[in-house]
Amino acid sequence: MGSRASSLLREEDIEEIKKETGFSHSQITRLYSRFHSLDKGENGALSREDFQRIPELAINPLGDRIINAFFPEGEDQVNFRGFMRTLAHFRPVEDNEKNKVLTPGEPLNSRTNKLLFAFRLYDLDRDDKISRDELLQVLRMMVGVNISDEQLGSIADRTIQEADTNGDMCISFNEFTKVLEKVDVEQKMSIRFLH
Amino acid sequence: MPKKSDTARKLEDVGIDIDGEVESAEEDKKAKGKGAKKTAAGKRGKAVTSEDGEDEDEDDEPPRGRRAAKKKKAAQADEEDSDDDIPQRRCAGNRRRGKVRESGGDGENKKSGRKSKRGGNKKQKDKGKGKDKDNDKDSDKDEKKKKNSSGDDSKSDEEEESMSEGEMAKLMEEVEEKKKLIANIRNKPWRMKRRLKVLKEAQQFVDKFEGALGKGKGRKLYAYKVMMMKKWIKFQRDFENFRTSCIPWERKIKEVESHFGSSVASYFIFLRWMYGMNLVLFGLTFGLVVIPEVLMGLPYGSIPRKTVPRPEQATAMDYSVLTDFNGYCKYSVLFYGYYNNQRTIGFLKFRLPLSYLLVGIGSFGYSLMVVIRTMAKNADVGGGDGEDSEFTFAWKMFTSWDYLIGNAETADNKFASITTSFKESIVDEQENQKDENIHLRRFLRVLANFLITCTLGGSGYLIYFVVKRSQEFANMDNLSWYEKNEMEIIMSLLGLVGPMLFETIAELEEYHPRIALKWQLGRIFALFLGNLYTFLLALFDEVNSKLAEEDSIKNASIWFVKEYYANFSANNPNYTGTPPPLDPSDGIRGPCWETAVGLEFVKLTISDIQVTYLTILIGDFLRALIVRFLNYCWCWDLEAGWPSYGEFDISGNVLGLVFNQGMIWMGAFYAPGLVGINVLRLLSSMYYQCWAVMACNVPHERVFKASKSNNFYMGLLLLILFLSLLPVVYTIMTLPPSFDCGPFSGKAKMIDIVMETIDMDLPAFMGTILGYLANPGLIIAAVLLMVLAIYYLNSVSQAYQNANMELKKKMQMARDEDKNRRNNKDSTNQVMKDLEDLLPKNAQTSHAHPEKNAEKRHDQGGKSPKVKPGSAGNDVRLQKDVSLASANPNARGPVTRAPGPRGPGPLPGQPGAGRGQGPPPRR
Repeated sequence: MGSRASSLLREEDIEEIKKETGFSHSQITRLYSRFHSLDKGENGALSREDFQRIPELAINPLGDRIINAFFPEGEDQVNFRGFMRTLAHFRPVEDNEKNKVLTPGEPLNSRTNKLLFAFRLYDLDRDDKISRDELLQVLRMMVGVNISDEQLGSIADRTIQEADTNGDMCISFNEFTKVLEKVDVEQKMSIRFLH
Repeated sequence: MPKKSDTARKLEDVGIDIDGEVESAEEDKKAKGKGAKKTAAGKRGKAVTSEDGEDEDEDDEPPRGRRAAKKKKAAQADEEDSDDDIPQRRCAGNRRRGKVRESGGDGENKKSGRKSKRGGNKKQKDKGKGKDKDNDKDSDKDEKKKKNSSGDDSKSDEEEESMSEGEMAKLMEEVEEKKKLIANIRNKPWRMKRRLKVLKEAQQFVDKFEGALGKGKGRKLYAYKVMMMKKWIKFQRDFENFRTSCIPWERKIKEVESHFGSSVASYFIFLRWMYGMNLVLFGLTFGLVVIPEVLMGLPYGSIPRKTVPRPEQATAMDYSVLTDFNGYCKYSVLFYGYYNNQRTIGFLKFRLPLSYLLVGIGSFGYSLMVVIRTMAKNADVGGGDGEDSEFTFAWKMFTSWDYLIGNAETADNKFASITTSFKESIVDEQENQKDENIHLRRFLRVLANFLITCTLGGSGYLIYFVVKRSQEFANMDNLSWYEKNEMEIIMSLLGLVGPMLFETIAELEEYHPRIALKWQLGRIFALFLGNLYTFLLALFDEVNSKLAEEDSIKNASIWFVKEYYANFSANNPNYTGTPPPLDPSDGIRGPCWETAVGLEFVKLTISDIQVTYLTILIGDFLRALIVRFLNYCWCWDLEAGWPSYGEFDISGNVLGLVFNQGMIWMGAFYAPGLVGINVLRLLSSMYYQCWAVMACNVPHERVFKASKSNNFYMGLLLLILFLSLLPVVYTIMTLPPSFDCGPFSGKAKMIDIVMETIDMDLPAFMGTILGYLANPGLIIAAVLLMVLAIYYLNSVSQAYQNANMELKKKMQMARDEDKNRRNNKDSTNQVMKDLEDLLPKNAQTSHAHPEKNAEKRHDQGGKSPKVKPGSAGNDVRLQKDVSLASANPNARGPVTRAPGPRGPGPLPGQPGAGRGQGPPPRR
């Protein structure tokens, strides 16, 4: 299975993905086989249903949001490149990369990008701001019907009040970064992909 | 779960735990990509260690080692081989460098690393690498084999370096290439045959030349070592997992915690802790007293104290008698009276009486030690985290879900626990924001305390009155059932009504539920103490009367035996020889007050268990059933309205547990079996209460977080322990034991058994030494020394505390400073500070200026050393800050911290809201 899956993957593709995401060769081939096994339609792209079949995502109250994060705006298919690009957010930051001066922008797994990924989970309408309504929606997902609307509202208010520094009653990405500055995002948002 | 520090806990709750120990996501991937992995593993199998579990071990190795290896790689500025050289190579590299690291060749390695860094082009780098490897090799040789003298070695090192540098580099390159080939071979579009051939060749080449490069010999040993290391690490992890899974009831408690909050869970944790402690007590008592007696002591019916007296024998097996622990139960190993005063028993010459005394005292000693140690440990926790109350909600909001949860049940629990934790923080928050009429509140609190003092006094008087009456009743005959049991009934009623009354009164005070719980606990504790001590006093009265009785009985029994023999010889004048001994069940016996006391405690414990379980069954289960099912046909909503479902009564349960334990401590000396009963009780109540709380209770209306350490519970326990220690030690030291029952019969005091042992078993000089030790002069000196030590340690700990506070303050300051710098980059500049002090005014008067000001600030503050990537859009932010400052010139108001050395703490230009100390939100 592995060799068949990887044979579908051309060497140039691998090189490109490697460059873009920083995954190693074998990681790419391994993830490709995973991609392949998720792809029930066998059309080289994953649909939302394919993702929803993953149990971890199915039981996750924010699962839908995570799945959404895989899809570029307005599309409902994601190909392997896109898949890898999203996964690259979770590549651990390695020490030698920290010291490296990167010419073309930041790598996908930098702290900022990791945070941006998390930020997008909450930013439902992708306007780069988390509004009160968006918070409420996410809260609903997280606590269900166990807490009254009023209390949820005050939690959302409180959250915004804690995080909001410029008084626009929304949480911008900068504010989000500041809230989580003490959280070890580099470590927490990393998956140790097999090599 | 043992208590964690708050931060640790928070982080755990909060972390976006993508990389976790669970690794379920990874596991999943692993499983899915197994095919690929297997082939890979198979192909590189030979080159690596041909160890089957290699791949997994590799993954299991904590990232530390890997990172370290990578760091070294980085130090060599080896940019070319990034990630495409795959495990095998990396593994080798790891091994290589790891070896150096291990064998202490670290310095060398670094040196060469530096060397290579200096090198400009790639060639030189490679050379550097080659050198590095040589060095490695040599250090290996140096460390492992210790054949060459060090001087020799270094010479050869240099020689080799200079001789074959170019060759080495070339060879290295080739080897690397081959390795790459091996790794990539399954992606090559070749036929299998060719692939295999190429693979074989490449592997041979690598093996050969890696060997030639000097890694061949030590390598095997090293590979073995690495393997063992990995195995060891894996084993340690597994063991850790195993240990975690061995913590009893962890899942159960977590489940309760997720639904009912940490406060309810704290009760169950306390229960579990108690169970652990009691298990040890049980082990001591049964292992050293009960079981030896059963195995080696005289059997039942051999002597009077081990036999049911004849008048009782008819009913001794009746169920009703047995449930009262009379009859056969009373004359069994469960009670003090059964034990014989033989100095040694059995072929082992086991000194049972001594063991009995030592176990009795040892139980107290152990309990004291454990309680105090736990308290100290709990006190440790909770220090060192100053950073709560900042972004609590935001953190909960953004980081509470654990993304690795793959189990539906766990997900449910997590779901519930997130909800609960939200509720907890809502309550905390509401409490923080309360600021109504402070005078009214104070008045109400004083009133409440007054009322409660009245209640306590009243109940105390009531108990006193009842005890008096019961003493009168004791001298009367033909009492009614009520009059006989008046004291118990009144006490139970007090115990039932008192807490409810307190709870009602406590509502006046409007404390935070956590504090309210403590008050409630303290008050009920006071009430119960009254009960306990009344009980004790009554008991002592009884004991005293029994002691008075004993003397006469002693004489009577001697007289009875004499008379028996006299009668025997009178009745059978023809009988010569000695008359048959008196049947053990006949004869006159003393009252054996120790057994009576033990019996009292056992009865009390049993009735306590019954009451507790019945309360749960009726008060919770039945109520829940009624509410649930009668709700269909009732005139009002039972679930929402009056009866509703019960809440878990934390204070009552904790106190019940604490008092029960007090009973056990007091009673265990007189009834060794009590400990066994208690262990069973705790075990069953763990399951029973877990079930009951999950099945029939609803979470508290105001779920609240338990305090970090349950030292309050422990404090109560310690107090009870001390209180129960007193009477027992008093009896051991002063009261004469019964003359015809128990291990100490015939002695003037129980403690005499120790003296006897010292005299008879220990060598004479020990006796003299002990005699000196017991000298008052020595004891006074020791006490003085201890007092001094306490004083000294106390002052030291105070000093540490001060230092701690100071450090915390400093840390907070550093954090603020850092934040300020990040936010507006210029807090370090004194001039700018002054400027900023002026800022709000400026901004207030003219709204056109802020932008200019901001620019100026930016220019002058440009010297800030760090620019976070996160604060890319800094200009924008600055402007916003300033405009906010203009809108809210009082932002400086809420700052309550002590001013730092640099003047007023946070800058006025900075909004206070980000610090969690801002003005309360509008609700």
